[in-house]
Amino acid sequence: MGKSTFLGEFEELILTVVLILNDDAYGNTIVSAIKEHQNREVNLSSVHITLYRLEEKGFLQSDMGGATQARGGRRKRYFRITNAGKALLQEMKDARTSLWELTPQLKFSHE
Amino acid sequence: MNNQRPPGFFIWFFQWYCRQNLQEFILGDLEEQFEQDIEDFGSTRARRRFAWNVLRFFRPGIVRPIFGSIKLNNTGMFKNMMTLAWRNALRQKQFTLINLFGLTLGIAACLMISLYVYDELNYDKFHTKADRIYRVNQPSIWGDWDEMIASTGPNVATALREEVPEFEEVTRVMQVGSLVVTPNQKQTIFKEDRIFGAEENFFKLFDFTLLHGSAETAFSQPNSIVLTEETAKRYFGDEVDFTGLMDQSIEVKEWDGNWKPFKIVGILKDISEQSHLQFDMLASMSSYQGQMDNHGWKWIWNIFGTYVLVKPNVDVAQLEERIQDLPAKWAAPTTERIFNQTVEEFTKGHPWTLELQSLGTVYSDGSPVDHGLGPTGNPLFIKIFTAIGVLVLLLSAINFMNLSTARSTGRAKEVGVRKVLGSARSILVNQFILESIMYVALATLLGIGLVFLSVDWFNSLTFKEMDLVGLLSQPTVITALAAFILIVGGLAGFYPAMVISAFKPVQALKGHSGHAIGGKWVRNGLVVFQFTVSIALIICAAFVQKQLTYVSNLDLGMDKENVLQIHNIEQFGFETGQLKSKLESLPAFTKVGKSFGLPPNILSGDRYMADEVQSEVVQMRNVRLEGDYLNLLDVEFVEGRNYDSSRPADKYKVIINESAVKVLGWSGEDEILGKKIALASGDEDKFEVIGVVKDFNINSAKSVINPLVIIHQDNDQVWDYGLGLSYFSLKLDETKVKSSGELMAAIQQVEKILAETDATVPFEYSFMDQEFDKTFLFEQRMGVVLSVFTALALVIGCLGLFGLAAFAADRRVKELGIRKVLGASIAELWVSFSSEFSMLLIIAVLIAIPFSWYCVDQWLTNFAFRTPIDWWVFGIAIIGAFLLAIATITYQSLKVAYKNPVESLRDE
Repeated sequence: MGKSTFLGEFEELILTVVLILNDDAYGNTIVSAIKEHQNREVNLSSVHITLYRLEEKGFLQSDMGGATQARGGRRKRYFRITNAGKALLQEMKDARTSLWELTPQLKFSHE
Repeated sequence: MNNQRPPGFFIWFFQWYCRQNLQEFILGDLEEQFEQDIEDFGSTRARRRFAWNVLRFFRPGIVRPIFGSIKLNNTGMFKNMMTLAWRNALRQKQFTLINLFGLTLGIAACLMISLYVYDELNYDKFHTKADRIYRVNQPSIWGDWDEMIASTGPNVATALREEVPEFEEVTRVMQVGSLVVTPNQKQTIFKEDRIFGAEENFFKLFDFTLLHGSAETAFSQPNSIVLTEETAKRYFGDEVDFTGLMDQSIEVKEWDGNWKPFKIVGILKDISEQSHLQFDMLASMSSYQGQMDNHGWKWIWNIFGTYVLVKPNVDVAQLEERIQDLPAKWAAPTTERIFNQTVEEFTKGHPWTLELQSLGTVYSDGSPVDHGLGPTGNPLFIKIFTAIGVLVLLLSAINFMNLSTARSTGRAKEVGVRKVLGSARSILVNQFILESIMYVALATLLGIGLVFLSVDWFNSLTFKEMDLVGLLSQPTVITALAAFILIVGGLAGFYPAMVISAFKPVQALKGHSGHAIGGKWVRNGLVVFQFTVSIALIICAAFVQKQLTYVSNLDLGMDKENVLQIHNIEQFGFETGQLKSKLESLPAFTKVGKSFGLPPNILSGDRYMADEVQSEVVQMRNVRLEGDYLNLLDVEFVEGRNYDSSRPADKYKVIINESAVKVLGWSGEDEILGKKIALASGDEDKFEVIGVVKDFNINSAKSVINPLVIIHQDNDQVWDYGLGLSYFSLKLDETKVKSSGELMAAIQQVEKILAETDATVPFEYSFMDQEFDKTFLFEQRMGVVLSVFTALALVIGCLGLFGLAAFAADRRVKELGIRKVLGASIAELWVSFSSEFSMLLIIAVLIAIPFSWYCVDQWLTNFAFRTPIDWWVFGIAIIGAFLLAIATITYQSLKVAYKNPVESLRDE
């Protein structure tokens, strides 16, 4: 399928988080979800750039939410995962699992 | 400011750069983040994080395209512009180099000068309370009441403390004078000139950093001393452990010859170059309490710098007005006791003003010069520097404009084609301005490089320690540089851009471009301006040199050559007869004489009057010396005689100079010898005049010769008998001391004799002629700087002329070809070609002469002795500039003249 199917680590993370957040995925919730689940500080701008890139590749869809009192009355842009996105995540997970199955039994040496 | 909202500037900035379609929800996200941050971190950090996030969003994909989204393919055009600029630069290498070279020179000069001015204007800004600190200045009460001095008597501070609650702190800094110090029981001896006495609250005003010791208690005890890092290292070696030094003692020699221990209570970080207070150590002022108590001279003992810290939000102008009454109210006991005069009588009606001078301008005001506790700036130097910097930059920018416009002939076709292909004029203008900005940016980089190479030279010339790397890494400086590039590039590119983009395509493509370009007047005007400036600068520089030669060869009325002066003689005690006879026995010297002051630095003075009814009190300089010293100086006696060592009564006699005769109101016809003068302080003692010497220069040749009273060194009726610094002057025998080796040997002999007498006295010497030269140090430096920048201006002017001549040559090639065919000789062609430029030069000369005459005349008013403004200097400067200009043009004119007419006329 060419190079567009390749996902970077960060892209995969974002895509997964959008999947987790289901109907409530936009910039801020993604940042805080990553903070919460992965204990990792990411910058809002990186998240946005990645979201657009994933949308361009066809793994995400977006639409504008309604205006609220908060955030200066500005609307949110919600992201949803597309079927292609879900398939890709599944595919990546399967690929990884099959790779793991090829490894010898995992042992941590204690020193 | 509403802290619950994100910073408005950054919202605006974001909206400015962000793509339209992304703006709303990103900004929404940013704001939501901000609201969260306020809860988590508080508003200050939240605002900072907001700003940071906005900056993080400034990245490809978010930032809107430069030319908007409608114009297609603009990157291509941008690239094309760059390519064209590059190709044009390469095609006309000569032009490109001249252009860049001129700009680089101009920008480097301007940068250098900006650095200097920036440095000069930022003195004393490191004190955090600098904006509330003021220095108290007062009139020069011992001299000219119209002049201000930077110091006061000790009790000005007392009065201010008592009467003005608006002063948070009042502190005095005492000029202790030169002292001899030993850190190690007299094994090594140091002469220290930069010791101040400081009061307990010193550090409440000034932020000098204490590395060790406590700022609160440093000066609370008598006989405590704080050393600077540099001094401590000088005393105890570079490796010294400062903590170990605390509470150790150093010994300072008192005036009476006793050594007094001072406890080290602190080590200061070295004093910044940019401080008007320059010292090596600070002693607690209470160490001198005895001296302060004994003196009844509370209001006239002017060795105290008085500084005040004003409480916040106080109207200083009003405050200053209020303190004007204080001297009249408080100084009376002093004047009555010392002079037996009321304050009114003492001031002779002059107002005894107290001026509050803001700390930030103490240095850069350059005045008052006298009694300052460190260096003062020179506003004149700053003004001249700034003017030259702006001029040189202007010259190079004009050059650039001229050359770019002239060069445009070659680009008419390019513009024509672009226009035909649909290029709008604004795009063309953008293109040329962009090109110009690129040139300026490149030249600025080269200029910075040039400044890097020459900053050491410049520092040594101006006695500065400017740190270029430090300055250039400051964000404000970087911003200023970027703004500079845009402004200069934009302005210099604007005129050529307008001219070039106005070409009509049809004419341009037909080849009529050369004639289509207007603006000949503008170009010629600019050339005239350039040469006016260059010629004026040459003339000024020539007169500066002429004046310097004039004053250094001026007849001082005495012989300053070959006089070796030995300092610190006061340390040997007052009786130095034996020492003198030992020095006299040295074969290298012909005469030896002792004095209590050395020209050109005889600054002591007193108030005298003729011993007659109704004589006026006059301010006169005085110096104590022995007769042999006057012999050594070889001053001429107009009347009377020198001191005679065989007449003991001579010690109460005085010798005065001709100026003194005049101010005392004695006319030439009177019999002056035998008249008496008295001290105006109402002292009983009167001194008989036994001689009148021809005026000789006791100060620099900048000032007129002051009236002078010469007092015998043994005169014990004057108050400072036996006090003060004294010197031995030795006249070198030129026939015996011919080489520097012999000179060094002679000096070593002197040193040996002194060391045999008392090894604890530091050996210091100077030469009188060098001291006189030093008084013109500032003018000499200015002379060098002016010459360098004059040369720069001239080079830039010539570059401009060269470029313009090339342009003219290109334009007139056909005309000259026809002339040649019709039989004109090379010489005739050269004349025909040069005459156009000669006209411009003549106009420039006509403007430059009165202008430079005015400047020189103004500058010379700083001097008491002036070199005449001779016309031949103008002549030489003008002929020089002409020759240079003609030489520049000749290259181009000959190139055209020798061209084969066949080639130049072949195609039309």
